[in-house]
Amino acid sequence: MYTLGIDIGSTTSKCVILRDGKEIVAKSLVVAGTGTKGPKQSYEEVLSAAGLNESDIAFIMATGYGRTTFEKMNGEMSELSCHGKGVFFANPGCRTIIDIGGQDAKVISLTDSGSISNFVMNDKCAAGTGRFLDVMAGILMIGVEELEEYALRSASPVSISSTCTVFAESEVISQLSKNVNKDDLVAGICGSVASRVAALAKRAGIKEEVFMSGGVAQNGGVRAALSKELGVDVKYTDDAQYMGALGAAIAAFHEIDKGLQSGTDH
Amino acid sequence: MNKKELFEKFHEIATHPETLMKRYIDEGKPVVLVAPVYTPEEIIHSMGCVPMGAWGADIQLNEAKRYFPAFICSIVQSILELGMKGVYKGASALVVPSLCDSLKCLGENWKYGVKDIPFIPMTYPQNRKPGYGHAFTKAGYERLISDLEKAAGKTFDDGALGESIRVYNDHNQAMRDFATIASKHPEVSASERSDVFKSATFMEKSEHTKLVRELIAYITEEEPAKSGTRILISGILADSPALNDIIDELGFTIAADDVAAQSRQYTVDAPDKAGNESNLDALVNKFCNMDNCSVLYDPDKKRVNMITNKAAFAEAQGVVVILTKFCDPEEFDYPLIKKACDERGLPCVLIEVDRQMENMEQARTMLQALKEMI
Ligand code: SF4
Repeated sequence: MYTLGIDIGSTTSKCVILRDGKEIVAKSLVVAGTGTKGPKQSYEEVLSAAGLNESDIAFIMATGYGRTTFEKMNGEMSELSCHGKGVFFANPGCRTIIDIGGQDAKVISLTDSGSISNFVMNDKCAAGTGRFLDVMAGILMIGVEELEEYALRSASPVSISSTCTVFAESEVISQLSKNVNKDDLVAGICGSVASRVAALAKRAGIKEEVFMSGGVAQNGGVRAALSKELGVDVKYTDDAQYMGALGAAIAAFHEIDKGLQSGTDH
Repeated sequence: MNKKELFEKFHEIATHPETLMKRYIDEGKPVVLVAPVYTPEEIIHSMGCVPMGAWGADIQLNEAKRYFPAFICSIVQSILELGMKGVYKGASALVVPSLCDSLKCLGENWKYGVKDIPFIPMTYPQNRKPGYGHAFTKAGYERLISDLEKAAGKTFDDGALGESIRVYNDHNQAMRDFATIASKHPEVSASERSDVFKSATFMEKSEHTKLVRELIAYITEEEPAKSGTRILISGILADSPALNDIIDELGFTIAADDVAAQSRQYTVDAPDKAGNESNLDALVNKFCNMDNCSVLYDPDKKRVNMITNKAAFAEAQGVVVILTKFCDPEEFDYPLIKKACDERGLPCVLIEVDRQMENMEQARTMLQALKEMI
């Protein structure tokens, strides 16, 4: 039996297809989020990668910011629950998840059985989110994916405000005009995101193992700064961006399972 | 009126208090605006005026920014905004209690921003329980009376205060009964519940009591609907239509509340006067007997246990703290509430709101996650 999870974020759309709630058959990622063709494209791509038709899918669970807008879904679940399920499935030792997405950041605490015991989300501000990194990369005229490379070369990161994206932007511009080393500046930018998110994480409580999920997890500069801020090893997997979609596919499987056990048909 | 019409009436009052205000003024009853919380409305009522709640509104702030910094609670900012925009025109005075720092600033700014409506301060003591706390409160009430006599041209009579105390105690009881019955009847939506509470802040209390009693009679006759996921809500305000819609859409039932604009203000009645006490003394005792609120000084923070006990009593499965952004009294209490809930295995989420919030999607995600956790 196949189930599909779709995670429609603010900047990307991700899909995962699972066989019998256990094995990942295919995944897809399109860099276009809610309100665009991204979700549909990601959905079509994952079906074709798995060599399946729509009728082969027993249940589609949507999650993410745009979760209520996907017409083909059979159910929807919050991204907090889905990230929890996805990360725990992939890393059963995980007890704390730090998820930094395009426009928000969340910290989720898990119990030993993988259910959520606590969570916190950032307030409405781009500081400490992927959006902050996008803005900064734009000012520096480098790609977001290059930030890691710069940050890891830095010997003495400069200090950048973590309170406000607008203030931070003017700080970066003034540092640039002082000809500060770009590596140190990028490391400071990553540190700014990390310190903002670390404060959030401390509110939720840190219990190892700590995993990052979401798009920003790929940025080694932020991961390193976060590990330093929190004093724990912050881990991640290559599939970090798919954790929401994976969790949704697992939740979809549980829905079917529940239905089978109670005798209802989907 | 049938039940549906009653709910419509509450909604109309909650959303259009200006119509009601005009009616009172046309009837020759001076309207006195009362800012949150614990203004001694009984005094104002006994002097032949109608106290109407001024808790601000969900509006964009422009004018108020001339006086307030951005980082201050949006309730006080929007009260000043409405005042400066002339929405309260015709009111005889604004009474502001001194129970938090933001409220203290409101009065001072009001004096400059809104010249045609006099500001009357109501200064409360931090320590309510000792004798000097009583004396301080009484002196504050006496000052309020003399300021009101000047502003509204009415005189104070202690016998009339006794009658108003009775009206307010009756209303408190009606609101407590409504909260209890709404908890047992999940068909009463969060939005309808909010309208009943919000209309209470605007309407003359004997009028409101009558409507609430009628509503309770209808609800009592009904077979209760199946309960949704039961939550206790806590905070200063919970009147955002968008937030209440989300609570309803996600299938929550409000089992109980500890919201200042809802049940919190109706928990304590003025006691009977003892010996040769005046009615004003009885009203002083009411304030001094109050507890369990973020703006009422209490080094033991008994409020925290009150919340978890109330949740248990109402069979709430989770607690939602609706935090008014930049409200420091509530922010100080939150970690204690969260810890007490964690210790009792009661899921607790914090939703930060302000009166300029246009997008509630994050609140939806958090509430949905809470439901999935429960
Ligand atoms: S919401 Fe908080 S800060 Fe604002 S007036 Fe009320 S108690 Fe004061």
